[in-house]
Amino acid sequence: MKTIFKFAALTLMVLIVPVCGFSTTKPENLERGIVGPVGSNVGWSGYSVVEQIPGAGLIPVTSTTTVFYLGFTAGTEADISGMTLYTTARGSSTITAVTPVKLGGVTNPSIDLASTTVCPVAEISTFNPCIVRLDPTTITLSALNDYYLVVYFTASDSNNGTLGLTSPSWAQTSLRGSYITGNETGLAVGGAIPSSLNFNSQPYMLMYVMTD
Amino acid sequence: MKTVYKFAALTLAMFAVSAYGVSQTTSTKTKPSTTVTQNLIRGVIGPAGNNSSWANYSVFNLIPGSGLFPITSTTTVFYFGFTGGTEADISNMVLYTTARGSLTVTAVTPVKLGGVSNPSIMLSNTGVCPVAPSQTTPCIVRFDPTTITLSTANDYYFTVFYTNDTNNSGISGASPNQNQSSISSAYYGGTDYTHLTVGESIPGTSNRGSSFLMYVMNN
Repeated sequence: MKTIFKFAALTLMVLIVPVCGFSTTKPENLERGIVGPVGSNVGWSGYSVVEQIPGAGLIPVTSTTTVFYLGFTAGTEADISGMTLYTTARGSSTITAVTPVKLGGVTNPSIDLASTTVCPVAEISTFNPCIVRLDPTTITLSALNDYYLVVYFTASDSNNGTLGLTSPSWAQTSLRGSYITGNETGLAVGGAIPSSLNFNSQPYMLMYVMTD
Repeated sequence: MKTVYKFAALTLAMFAVSAYGVSQTTSTKTKPSTTVTQNLIRGVIGPAGNNSSWANYSVFNLIPGSGLFPITSTTTVFYFGFTGGTEADISNMVLYTTARGSLTVTAVTPVKLGGVSNPSIMLSNTGVCPVAPSQTTPCIVRFDPTTITLSTANDYYFTVFYTNDTNNSGISGASPNQNQSSISSAYYGGTDYTHLTVGESIPGTSNRGSSFLMYVMNN
């Protein structure tokens, strides 16, 4: 009987370890992202970049986290004053939820693009853009909503003056984007995505929206 | 320790019973053995356009990681659409892997049809093309499954070089003008680009709808 119990314990371990111990999540696309290589657009000091992640384009993957990947093509440092994710009903511009987005635990990071630990290829370019993965945002995207990621680049900042963002040239992505002067990261529930913006173009900077 | 073993045995018994013991479905149904054929990326919506005369051209079709569906497959199958001609002579074909958004080759995988990387495809043979290829009835040719698991972290370039001969001067391929597919392409005359090695670069960005490549599937 003792041997049977031992065998049972061993079998249980064999079953549990692969399930729990080495379970890695494979990053999946939540939206059809940017097809690269890409172009570049330089000079972002004092601009809010507004990226639309439409519910209509969501791939049927359920994830409790959403990870945004930003693409930089020029510059040595990106100084961000704020990053926010707005939720609206699908097709509406009225904000129903506001979720902070972070990098390194803060919503106002300075990204050292000259560091090879941040950008492995030393001189970033359109052919070798530096893709920066933001912290996972705890939100499950729904096909019933649209989402707007807004990143505000600090005004009167020489680093942001030479900053280059990816500018897709091939309109295959489901992501859309626009930009506006001034800080639009402080809007509240009930407020609206600026009506002057249209989302007919592909997004600057936002490259991928993934599960991890 | 004896108590731990007893607890383990009890837990295992519970797993076993819940999985098999009272599961009527498991005991009465047999699992289908065939793999469901699925898209790995959004393919070409047809009928597609038409582009002719391919002798001495290298054709790059970009399969972007950013467009991959959440399907895991150890094999990848490419489907070409021919819209005209009687024979397509291919000198070589490979699949290049790059990091997503980069043009630098990180891996090279041979692609085959009928076990070879330099097939001649008899488009006039009804065993290959049941209906003579045209823009409205493209002949869809399925390549051998390539043993590779596509990753969202990479881009892939399926590259084919058409031999400089008269057969290829007369062939046409599917050439969609819409951006609805996630596949795009570029082509270059006069150079066989199917022999790039790891560390070398794809010669340029994809700037048009796919050429020939219509579907990328798991089977």
